[in-house]
Amino acid sequence: MQQHEIHHFLERYFRANQCEIAENGDGYLITELTIDMDKELMNRPFYWHYIEKTGGTPAPMTLTFITKQTKETEKLKGERLHFGSPRLHQIFQSAQKRGSYIRLYENIQPSEQQFVPLHPWLGLNVKVSYQCDRKRDFLLSLGLHLINGAIVEQFQDRLEQLELTPKIPDYCFTITPLIKPQSGIVRLEQYIKNMIQQDDHSWADEALKRWQEDIELLDHFYEEIDERPECYYIEKEALEEQYKPRIHVSIINGGLFYLQPRPNVS
Amino acid sequence: MKVEIEFDSTWKEGFLERLEQDGPWSSWDLYQLSLEVAHRLSIPDFYGLQAPNHLPHLTPLPHQLEVAKQVVEKMNGKAILADEVGLGKTIEAGLILKEYMIRGLVKKVLILVPASLVSQWVTELNEKFFIPAVQQKKSYVWEQCDVVVSSIDTAKKSPHKEIIYEQNYDMIIIDEAHKLKNNKTKNYEFVQNLKKKFCLLLTATPIQNRIEEIFHLVSLLKPGHLGNAAYFTEKYGKTRSLHADEHLKSLVNKVMIRNRRTDTGIEWSKRNVETMIIEFSKEERELYNAVQSLKNISAGSPFSLITMLREVCSSREALFVTLKNMLKKHEGETPPYFNELIEKINMVTKNSKAEKALELIQSINDKVIIFTEYRATQLYLQWFLKQHGISSVPFRGGFKRGKKDWMKELFKNKMQVLIATEAGGEGINLQFCHHVINYDLPWNPMRLEQRIGRVHRLGQTNDVYIYNFAVKDTVEEHILKLLYEKIHLFERVIGELDDILTKVELHNFEDYLHDIFFNSRSEGEMRIKMENLTAMIDFADNLNKGGTTYAAT
Repeated sequence: MQQHEIHHFLERYFRANQCEIAENGDGYLITELTIDMDKELMNRPFYWHYIEKTGGTPAPMTLTFITKQTKETEKLKGERLHFGSPRLHQIFQSAQKRGSYIRLYENIQPSEQQFVPLHPWLGLNVKVSYQCDRKRDFLLSLGLHLINGAIVEQFQDRLEQLELTPKIPDYCFTITPLIKPQSGIVRLEQYIKNMIQQDDHSWADEALKRWQEDIELLDHFYEEIDERPECYYIEKEALEEQYKPRIHVSIINGGLFYLQPRPNVS
Repeated sequence: MKVEIEFDSTWKEGFLERLEQDGPWSSWDLYQLSLEVAHRLSIPDFYGLQAPNHLPHLTPLPHQLEVAKQVVEKMNGKAILADEVGLGKTIEAGLILKEYMIRGLVKKVLILVPASLVSQWVTELNEKFFIPAVQQKKSYVWEQCDVVVSSIDTAKKSPHKEIIYEQNYDMIIIDEAHKLKNNKTKNYEFVQNLKKKFCLLLTATPIQNRIEEIFHLVSLLKPGHLGNAAYFTEKYGKTRSLHADEHLKSLVNKVMIRNRRTDTGIEWSKRNVETMIIEFSKEERELYNAVQSLKNISAGSPFSLITMLREVCSSREALFVTLKNMLKKHEGETPPYFNELIEKINMVTKNSKAEKALELIQSINDKVIIFTEYRATQLYLQWFLKQHGISSVPFRGGFKRGKKDWMKELFKNKMQVLIATEAGGEGINLQFCHHVINYDLPWNPMRLEQRIGRVHRLGQTNDVYIYNFAVKDTVEEHILKLLYEKIHLFERVIGELDDILTKVELHNFEDYLHDIFFNSRSEGEMRIKMENLTAMIDFADNLNKGGTTYAAT
């Protein structure tokens, strides 16, 4: 992540969380936190407890972030952020937590006051991790049409093209899902499972081979000892944890999207 | 190949709850940001290193990055990091740990280091790697903190040991791991019974004396890699060095990485070495002669006699301590020579070496480290310098961790001189100082390297000055001549000597020297033996220059 990307990220994060951006300069950003965001980022529960108990005037903090070294920022007192700095990761976590669940409607202005139906979609962004003693992730974005059961990939990319709004627009009505969101999740899980099963898993075969080799070495090490000592079993367990191939699927975020039906989609 | 697929259900639960309560829902902006974070944090490939992207302020050296890559990609996260002193093994370990943490493969970590290094590790991991490492101070730390740094001596004791065994560590890092070369020790047993999913063993000297040491070290990391004990002894028991057996070497290199200074292509600051030959006073000389004459009446073992001679060269105090201990052993029955020696000790009124040291320190007028082999000398020197208005800091291996840090800070910020005994030399980084006095010389050249490595390491920007003290016409002068004039030890880059000694299979260099000094019946014989030794080393040296260079071991 480049420094200007970090800057851009911060700007959007604080705006999205209703924090005033007091200054947005070259290589720095000053933001006034809301009470809510102060609680989220500043880790001072005692202060807030005190203010709430005494009815004092809350004074959320103003933060200065420096994203580039310039003559100007050199004199500035603030937190220098880069990819990997703990503060940025705290903000990352907060963003992830605050952006998990969504419900949006496609914003359309129907002509001639005619009522337009919006179809329900379940959208999920998913992280799949292949893990042994090594690890690789990839992300999937899937959409499930909750009426006819059609599944599309790169769903997020389609959404990005549309204008979306949290309130249902005038003259629009939603169609009730035939597939319940809960079973929609199950369908998408099944879809992901099939996708994974068709993938190349030589990584797992290789890990199993490494695992087996080390088990053989271990057995050889203790072969002349009649009763295996405890450390033999400990080591064996360690090898399993080290090498055993696992696939982990977790949902990054997702929700319901009510979209105008399009001929090419469903 | 069928791998089990695990679905995380936490999101689902939250979603169903929101459906029921009709919200709250995120904004589209936050939703997009959240996905962007996931993109940024996902690991695109099994291979390569992610850590450097997370550490833009840290510029690891090429060899350090290479080590990290190799450990992750080729060694499956279990390795002995055996770079020579001063090449940054801590940085390598930090990079590897960071890599695994970023990849989400490691969360809970136990780092065992010598007591004197605990806080240094904590600081480096936090400041250089943003790894929230915590020093173990209270027993709840084991359970509550993810990355804990402790000394092995604390960890192996109850109740800590039991608590540690209950933790589920993803990674174990052990610094100065050569201390685990003996499989009969409590430390070894403790580490053997730790579950080691990923494991790094750090040591600059994977083999100090015997080939079995590498067997024990490797067997901790990867039992069976070098066969079992019986197999190893039968197959390699007679091998004197790793170089002697290509097969063994290549096996070891699968689990061990060793970089040498010469391989790294880094330009080191210069090393200036000055020998200072000191003349004994009349009384000191008499004391020395008196000890030497014990050889004829064959008192004690050769070892203790040579030790005593070396002690006289250091300080009368050092000799006195030994005599006192001998007396204890004789249970009060004084050997005939005892009183004579005590009398001679009492006659000595000054320490010629100490006076030279004082003069030198005054003229340097900058920070100086004095190394001595003897605690009595250390105490004496501290007193002596104080008499002349120079405050100094003592440093010993036995100091508690906090005291070591304190002493180092005192030396850095307040005092001119640090007086360290051998054991105190290990692991501390003193790059802010560039003058070293070897008040007496260790006979093991590797230990001399360890000493110099304290200051002549990465991060040393000044040229380093080393002053070697030796008393004229004593064993010390012989040794110095050998180390300095014949082997050119001090001009060598660190590690070269290791190579050479390995080539001539001179692992017990020290024993060899003892033999020369004690068993030679005349000065002439001694000279011839010394010349033989020098010739052997020269021979190996030539081999080294003309011959192959080894990538590892």
